This record gives sequence, C-alpha cells and structure tokens, in this order.
Amino acid sequence: MTDLNERLLRLNAALDGELDAMGSLAFERELRDDPAIAAEYQRLTKLRDAVRHHAPREAAPRALADRIVALTPSAPAPAPQAATAPAASVVPFRRRAWRDSRALAMAASFAVLGFAVGAGLTSLRTPTGSGDVAQNLVSDFARAAIAGQPFDVASSDRHTGKPWLADRTTVSASIVDLAPRFPLVGGRVAVIDRIPTPTLVYRHHEHLVAVTELPLRAKGASGTGAIDTIDGYHVARWSDANLAYVAVSDMDETALGEFVEAFRRGGGPATEPSRP
Amino acid sequence: MSSPIAEQRFRDIVPPLLDDAYSLAKWLCQNPTDAEDIVQDAALRALQALSTVSVDRPKPWFLAIVRNAAMTFMARNRRKTVAYAGDMTDLDALDLRQSDDAASNPEQELIALEDGQRLRQAIASLPSPFLETVVMRDINGLSYREIAEATEVPVGTVMSRLARARAVLAKILRSDP
Repeated sequence: MTDLNERLLRLNAALDGELDAMGSLAFERELRDDPAIAAEYQRLTKLRDAVRHHAPREAAPRALADRIVALTPSAPAPAPQAATAPAASVVPFRRRAWRDSRALAMAASFAVLGFAVGAGLTSLRTPTGSGDVAQNLVSDFARAAIAGQPFDVASSDRHTGKPWLADRTTVSASIVDLAPRFPLVGGRVAVIDRIPTPTLVYRHHEHLVAVTELPLRAKGASGTGAIDTIDGYHVARWSDANLAYVAVSDMDETALGEFVEAFRRGGGPATEPSRP
Repeated sequence: MSSPIAEQRFRDIVPPLLDDAYSLAKWLCQNPTDAEDIVQDAALRALQALSTVSVDRPKPWFLAIVRNAAMTFMARNRRKTVAYAGDMTDLDALDLRQSDDAASNPEQELIALEDGQRLRQAIASLPSPFLETVVMRDINGLSYREIAEATEVPVGTVMSRLARARAVLAKILRSDP
C-alpha cells in the first residue's frame, strides 16, 4: 500500500512538473521500462487535460472587474460625477504618473519623450477628465493582456465582429481592415461611464493594439492624435465626424503612430477600407 | 482608509488575478452570483491588508484570501459544504488501489472524459479540500508549494490530496453514469 501510494504521488508530481532533475531522470527510465506505469501516466494525463479543457479558467464578469477597479479612489467611480469631479480625479492621476518609475526614467533620458509625457499630463489636467477614459482603457488593456484574453470574440473577419459588437453595444462600430500589417484578431466590450462601447483588437507581430470607439460627447474622449504614455502603455486619441477613438497599445510610439494613421485613412463609414 | 501605497499595490496585484479569483470562488461556492460577492469581499480584505504588508508572490497570496473569503461566506450562508470533515476522512481512508481495481473499464473513463458536463459534476462533487487543490492546480496553475501556501497545509498534504482527488475523479468517471 505504501509503495503504491508513493508511486501514485510520484506519477502526479511528474504530471505536474514537480519532480527535480534526478527524480525526472529516474521517472523517465521507469516510463520506458514499465508499461503499467506508462499506461497509468497516460491515463492521468488524459484526465488532467480533460479537466483543463472542460473546466477552463473563466473570465470574471466585466461588472465585477469594474467594481474592483473602483475600490481604489483614484480609479474613476462608475457613477456620473458633479462639477467637482475633475479636480478630485486629477490629483491621484498625476501622483500615479509620477510614481511610474519607467515614465520618470524615460523622461530623464529623452528630452523629446519627456516633453511628450509632459504634454500628456497637461492634457490630463484639463477639465475634460480625459485621464479617466484613457486610464480606464489602459487598465482594461493590461487586464485583458495579462489574463491572456485580449478579446471576447475572436474574429479576423469584420463581417463577423460587427454584428457581435452591435448586439452588445450602443455605438455602431466602424471596423477597418488593416491586414496584412495590422490584422484584426477580435473584439470586446469596454464599459466607459456605464456605456458599453465596442473595442477592436488588432495584432502587430507580438503586440496588440485595442481601439475603443466612443460617442463624440463621451467625456474626455476627444483628442488630436497625439500619443500619451500611461502606466507604460501608449495611448492615442483622435476623432472623426461621428466617433471618438482611443487606441491603447504595448507597441512602441512610432508603430502606434503608423497604426493610427492607417486606421484613420482606412476608417470612416462612408469609405471602403483601403490598404496602405 | 487605505493608503496610496496600498492602493498602488492593489492596482498592481489584484486586477490581473480577477479571472483566477473568480474561477476559484465559483468552483468553491458553485454559484456565479455568490462568487462575485466572495471576490469583492476578498478584494476589500486584500486592500486593507496591503496597507501593512508587501507581497512577494501575489497569486497564492490573493487566492488564499479568496479561499478564506469563500469559507467565511459558506459558513455564513450555507448549511452543507462546511461539514466536510467526515467526507475528508472518508476520502483519506480511500485506498488508492481502488483506482487500479476499476481500471478494468478504461474505455468507460475515456468516453466520460469527452462529457464535459459529467466531468464538471464529478469535480464539483469533491469535498472542499480536494476540490480547492484540484482547482488551484489545474485551473489556476499554482505549483504545489503555492497551493500549500494558499491552503495552509504542508506540501505532502497537497500531494496526497491531489493524487486522491484525481483517483476519485477517475473512479467516478469509470462508474456508469
């Protein structure tokens, strides 16, 4: 009985990658020499794989995620705020930006980039509250990226993505085809000021860029296409006649600039997407 | 109430772990709405704790809080699952050789593995100490050491719980549905 239990413990430990180098070596030898052990190991592997397949990690509901983010006061409260709101949200935001050591280090090293970051902070101090939206979307982007679930619907086809997003949001998304340079990989819904808004996710090599489309009247959504840095991510904001756009990405600034240019060239509901 | 440092730590640690936390809570309480309450409660506890502690390994740390919040929740709101002491001794008494005896019907197990609903029911039927160990290992991806840390038991106990839990799962799946 003891030996048998010992054997099962070792089988499981091998399955979970918990044997040390010598243990693995001995186990590999056993697997090779003892068909019964090999069969049992294979059975355990199938069980483990089936558990992972049928009981996968689930995404937390978006509403829960929003409530968690709202627990820290410098994250914007979901409720619409009175006229004092911008002042309340600006101070913590600047504090956080300055705590970001990467932003500090870069600002010190590169005068030009330092200027860009400074410009970003200036715009956040304006009473548009633009930091709220951008910070929200950056958190959203980071959360999705770390969770390994950058999108809720996987689709490289804008004709599939559009109805999916249309069912879930009140903003009619314009989906731009930017393949092959920035292939569309999927879409998800971001909640901004309690309004579900469509977010498109594009890929560029191993990087992602998420474009959220907002009504023009959305607080702080407007921008001129300048690129800010928030928590180490690059953020671009621009708008056209119908919508405001916020793009968040882990790409470098230049690549994001090119993406924005391509998107703006290809976008717009009236024109068919053109390939750069 | 919470310091700026705590808030910063919280923002670094908790949001990326929400999916893991929610999945664990949902398996432990078997109810999506309760799982949300549990995670929210755990997040509040984490925020308070982060005023005084800094955390080396965020994942086992936060999942331990989620687990404890789930236990509190279940003790307060449910009757059944808390009384698992009896089940646990039953399962501890389980001779692992039983899994060999039943190996006479391996096809049945293979077929059952395709049946997601049945597999999920089998997992859900595990007593809490075994359930949480399987979930933390196979769904949350914690190492044995991290599970030991999160569930406050020695690594040896984690190993035997995991081996037993998997043996029991296989046994349930091999039996006729």
